[in-house]
Parts: sequence; C-alpha cells; structure tokens
Amino acid sequence: MDVKKRETTDWLLKQLFKAIGLITIVLLGGIFMMLIYNSIAFFAKVNPVDFFTGYQWDPGSVDGNYSILPLLASTGLVAAGSMLIAVPLGIFTAAFLSEFAPGKLQAVLKPVIEMLAAIPSVAIGFLGIVLVGPGIAKLFGIQNGLNALNGSVLLAVMALPTIITISEDAINAVPKTYREASLALGADKWATLFQVTLPAALPGLIAAVMLGLGRALGETMTVLMATGNASAMPGGFLDSIRTITATIAIEMGEVPYQTTHYFALFAIAAVLFLITLAINFLGEYFANSLRKFQA
Amino acid sequence: MRYFSACVFLLLTSCARDSDTIKIKGSDTEVNLAVQLAETFHSDNPEVFVSISGGGSGLGIASLLNGTADMANSSRSINSEEIVLFHKKTITIDSFIFAQDAIAFVVSDELPIDSISTKTLALVLSGTYKNWSSVTSKKMPVNIYGRQSNSGTHDFVKKKLKIAFSPHAKEMNGNAQILEAIKQDNSGIGYVGAGYVIHGGSKGLKVLTVYSGEDIAVSPLNSKMIAAGKYFFQRPLFQYYKSNSYDKVKPFLDFEKGQIGQKIIKEAGYYPVN
Repeated sequence: MDVKKRETTDWLLKQLFKAIGLITIVLLGGIFMMLIYNSIAFFAKVNPVDFFTGYQWDPGSVDGNYSILPLLASTGLVAAGSMLIAVPLGIFTAAFLSEFAPGKLQAVLKPVIEMLAAIPSVAIGFLGIVLVGPGIAKLFGIQNGLNALNGSVLLAVMALPTIITISEDAINAVPKTYREASLALGADKWATLFQVTLPAALPGLIAAVMLGLGRALGETMTVLMATGNASAMPGGFLDSIRTITATIAIEMGEVPYQTTHYFALFAIAAVLFLITLAINFLGEYFANSLRKFQA
Repeated sequence: MRYFSACVFLLLTSCARDSDTIKIKGSDTEVNLAVQLAETFHSDNPEVFVSISGGGSGLGIASLLNGTADMANSSRSINSEEIVLFHKKTITIDSFIFAQDAIAFVVSDELPIDSISTKTLALVLSGTYKNWSSVTSKKMPVNIYGRQSNSGTHDFVKKKLKIAFSPHAKEMNGNAQILEAIKQDNSGIGYVGAGYVIHGGSKGLKVLTVYSGEDIAVSPLNSKMIAAGKYFFQRPLFQYYKSNSYDKVKPFLDFEKGQIGQKIIKEAGYYPVN
C-alpha cells in the first residue's frame, strides 16, 4: 500500500474519532445553552431576587409565585438525609469487602450490590409507597409516611451501589505497604483500617460520596412517588416535600409553551444542573487526586 | 395511576393501517371507562382499532394539538390558552360530552363527619382550617391528599371552590393512591372520581355528602340527583376531536351514545348524559 493512501486513511480515521468524541461535548454544551437561554427568558419576567428568596412555589396562582427556595430546601433535605444513611453504610460495606471479607463471600457480594443499581427507580418508588412509607408512619406514630425521610431511605438504597463500588476501588488502591507498616508497628486490624487505610483512601471516598450525592439529587421518579409532593417549605424529615426534579416532571406535561411557567421550569432545571455539575466536578477532582497519589 | 396503567392498545396497532386506528389520549379519570368502551366497540367492529392512553387532560389536548391523537379525553373544558394555540395552528375542534362524572370527597370512616358544606370544604382544602377540631369533635391535624396539578380533577375542584390549594396538600399520582393513603390515615381528606368509590365507602373509607347553600346534602353516588344536576361537584367529561377527522371518530362516538355505550358508562360508575 502506498504511503499516501495510508496517511489519508489515518487522517480520516483520526478526524472521525475526534468528531465522535466531540459529539458528547456538543450535546452537553447544547443542553446547557438551552437551559441558560430559557432561564434568561424567565429572569426577564421574574425578578431573580424573588426567585431565590420567596417562600412559595405556586405558578398556578394569579400573580404566580415562582420561588425555588422550598424546592431547593426539599431537594437538599432529601439528598442530605440519603447521604447520612448511605455514606456510613457504603463506606463500611466497602471496607468490609476489601479488608475483611473472605474471597468467596466477596465474589458473591460484589455482583449482588451492583445489581442494586439495576433496579428501576419506579420499582423503588413503589416500594416506598407500599412498604417503607407505611413502616415510617408506624414507627413515628404519624398519619402518613410520604415524607422526606421516606425519600431519603429510598435514595440511600439507590446511591449505595455507586458509593460502595467507588469506595472499594479507593480502599483497594491504598498500597499494601501502608497496611504492612502499620501492622508491623503493632497496630491491630481496626486501628490500621481507621487510622491508616481509610485516611489514605479519603480522596477516593469523597469522590464516591460526591457521585452518590449527584445520583440522589438528580433522581426523579422515586421522590415523585414517595415523598408526597407538598410544595410548602419543609420543616423537617417528617414533612412532605417536593423536589426540583419532581416539580419539573409533574408540571412539564401540562404547561403551555413559551409562558413564564414554562421558562420557570427551565430556570429550576438550570439551577439543579449547576448544582449537580459542581458536585460531579468536585467528585472528579478528588478522584483525580487519588490517581495522582497512586502514581 | 398514570405512570404504569393506561397504555392499552387493542390488538397490535402496528398490524393495522394507521387510518383504521382511532388514537385517544387524555384524562386519567376517563381512561378506565374509555378502555371498556373501546374494547366492546372493537369486538363489535373488528375492522376499527382504538388505542387509548392516559396522562392527564392537559396531555390529551396537547396531543390533539400536535397531531399524535385523534381524540382527546378531557375532564375539564378546554382553556383559553389552549384555544389560542389551536387558533395559531388553524385547527378547528369540536367537542362531545359522553358522560358525567362526580367528584367524591373521601375521609376515613373513623372521622366523625358525614356531610360537609362547600364553604367548609373550601376552608379545609385551602389550608385555613388546619385542624379537624374546627369541623368535628376530633382534634387532629388535617391531611389533604390531592392530585397533581396536571390533573383535570385538581383543576376542577380548585376552580369550583374558587380556592388555591394549601401548599401542605400532598399531590398523589392518581385516584387509587389517594384512596390507599386515606385508608391508612384517620385525619386525611381527599377527592377522587366517583367511579373509584362506586360501592360506597369501601373498608376504612367514607364518602362525604356535600351541600351548598341551604340545599340538602347530596351524595356523589346518587344518580338521580346527578341526573338532575344537583350535586355541586359534577362535571361533564369531554372528548375533543379535530373537525376534519369527524368521519373517522364518528362510529366510536355513535357507539358511546348508543344503548350499549350508555350501559357501560353506568356500570363504570359514571353518569350518562340525558
């Protein structure tokens, strides 16, 4: 084959692969631009100060109350709750898997945990309605279990596979010499785990939590089904809440196009997008610093 | 429940030519009834296929607008914003009222209340009365179970009572979920289509009779009073279709008006139009 032909093929393939790689970025950019464009249309009609400081989301009312605050508080509450449950559970499970579990058990547990991620969110939401919700109602002696706590428990279950898998990788990646040095100095297994291995894996653990949190913030169906969707400002974990995602899902289907309400949904989506973007960046940052530390 | 029910295709629509399939979308309240009507209609007229799906009245009308449905079921009349949109696309539509529906207000059977005035109802649902002690002898916080804002039922109750719902009202996915929640919650109050409580208060539930002004309290299950138009929360169930597809949907409309259709409507807990 003559050299020129080879070079042409080489050049063509390079361009092709470059284009394919760029498509993702174009997509991301396009979505971002669309959100920003529609948000600007919204802020042309509604004062951003009202948007961030009001206390009520009620687009159906005459004067139209568009405040993201109760939605943001709901999203934050349910995601924080889910992390309170999922972080200790996830990290300790990961520690157990990589440090203590015998090989056979590990071989069974890992795929089972990963299977958790395969359960559709609708199915988890349904469990929240028929099982977890009534359980919470009974436990706390309240009338109904469709509240933030219910959502948190379900989201914790959904975030667990992410947190466990990444944490385990992080803990596994801690060089063996660290543990050996610790054990040689007379520390027992527990002291080694808590004072050497986990701190050494910390950047990876933070990355795991961030990615899990991103998952919890963006989840829609489960919270839509299981948290009651009351748009009032939540006062605690036993209140019904309405997250940003659920609001978009409920209202997008009926909103007339090109109205303030329509643009408002894009504006709250943009806020959510920026939050999850920031969290994913943080996660990536910590994951990268872990990689550097190993190199 | 709009997310998992209600996507019924009578036979594989892909087998049929598109022109033979009447596509109907819209109200979740009407979807069960429409499916029953369509099934019977199809077994009488095997050459015509009817596909029914839910998603809410607003979605049905939007589908009619963008051409993905031949007919929209709607439990509310079309609003002015939607009319403008149809105008813009120069689509003319016609409506047909095929049945009447009554909205039942449901509470737990342990709540010592049997009837409620529309005035009290407005105060309860708007969140002015936060405790049942304002209405009954029991002292319990009021828990409101409503539909989501894309539901025609939500819209109807809100407009009829001229209130804004309390922001503490829970928004459930559908009629069945509201009933399940109230069965467990002694302090709950909710609203559902009468078709869902057709056998009176099922276990744990009680259907409230409603009175407005000085009239007598009327039950949403009383077909005579509804035929006379005496129940406060009764509403026509609309079917909207494009005027130029009238020929296509006419056989189905005729069937609904006919004896068999009316019988199905009655059995499903709705009220025929007289």
